[in-house]
Amino acid sequence: MSGTQKYPGLPLLPPPFAAQQPPLAKVVEEKCIACDRCLPVCFFDALRIEERPGHALGRSAVVTAAHCTGCGLCFETCPVDAFVWVPDMSSSPSRPGTRI
Amino acid sequence: MLTTLFLGMELRSPVIVASGPASHDVNQISLAERHGAGAVVLKTACSDKYQHMRFWPRPRYKLLDWDKQIAGRSKQFSLYSYEQGYSGSLEDYWEFIRVCKRHAGIPIVGSIFADEAGDWAAMAAEVEMAGADAIELDISSPHRPGSLEFDTTSVAAMRAVVGRVHIPVLAKLAPGTNVLKQAEAAEQAGAHAVTLCNRLQGIDVDIESQRPILHGYYAGIGGPWAKYYTMRHIAEAYRTVHIPISGTGGAITGEDVVKYILVGASTVQVLSAILINGWETIARMNEEITGYMQRKGVDRLESIRGQAVASMTPPDNIVRWSGEPLDGTRNIWKEPGP
Repeated sequence: MSGTQKYPGLPLLPPPFAAQQPPLAKVVEEKCIACDRCLPVCFFDALRIEERPGHALGRSAVVTAAHCTGCGLCFETCPVDAFVWVPDMSSSPSRPGTRI
Repeated sequence: MLTTLFLGMELRSPVIVASGPASHDVNQISLAERHGAGAVVLKTACSDKYQHMRFWPRPRYKLLDWDKQIAGRSKQFSLYSYEQGYSGSLEDYWEFIRVCKRHAGIPIVGSIFADEAGDWAAMAAEVEMAGADAIELDISSPHRPGSLEFDTTSVAAMRAVVGRVHIPVLAKLAPGTNVLKQAEAAEQAGAHAVTLCNRLQGIDVDIESQRPILHGYYAGIGGPWAKYYTMRHIAEAYRTVHIPISGTGGAITGEDVVKYILVGASTVQVLSAILINGWETIARMNEEITGYMQRKGVDRLESIRGQAVASMTPPDNIVRWSGEPLDGTRNIWKEPGP
């Protein structure tokens, strides 16, 4: 199970709030090690690395919320479990991923 | 060297981006082209009746059994997903095709899904008018409504589309015991090629909550392991039907592409490998195919298509030898020792 521990990956189930609000990926910047593993899998250009002067490593992955479709693949690639789900407050019925 | 003639289109590579999340926006077309893809099959557009399929559950992907290799090195994974259709309206989709055609230097294949033959035909006509070079009929998506029967709905759809458009029509079939029969039916209905095969439907369960994972319903499931039954289906179809085959499902290396061609595929569609190992997968595949051709002295891939099928051994001719003799040492009963 060492692989599983190293790559915690996507939780098996959607977060509890998913029935009310579509989930969106967010990076917990304190955990992020800026390893760049998540960037290539994002087909929606929703991930970028930004300079973070206060961060231990000086940089962190950041989710562009407007591009994120909440697909979950970035969770899979994170070796330090730095992704969490947050409610997507900006979604509207015309936007992919919204409940109709 | 990799140039492949497929349905009247001269492709610079037999490697095609399959319909899905790697072909749902315009920028991905230039990525596919830049990395050497022969063509792109666009994300499937659903008829207005199925507009709920333009919305996607979150999350919708889970990598199972992943070997956790990054930087394009992953060899093992199962992509478990509830992939849905193109997220815009049909008008958006026609415009999507037009923009792709304006900017792409490689053929663009439209992909549609509907139920009634009239809807299939009307959508296909729009795809053609928008400028697509060919059209793929997604009659086998693992996420389609279960009530649609192949023998009625799908055959009628193929006939209606073939009778309506002048561009080549590919029928994408599901794997399983019926695939050969369906490939024959597709040929009889006038399809110009078959795409073999779509993904299987599967389910995984979270034993803690005792619920199905992710969206809670059956998912599409595929991965490198799918290549073995995919190749079998291609080989069977290659022996039986007379229209070209676009193989898809499980190919992650150039060697896989060569194998698919050896069992009869003309082109090979790739998606999961791009998703997991990056767009560079296409360039790597092209390099590996070229390397194989140089090593084996192959000028054109057409010259090796179906070679492995031609040298398959019929079951009656398989050389067999005696197994364990009934009076051999392993067949003499001994009481277990203390």
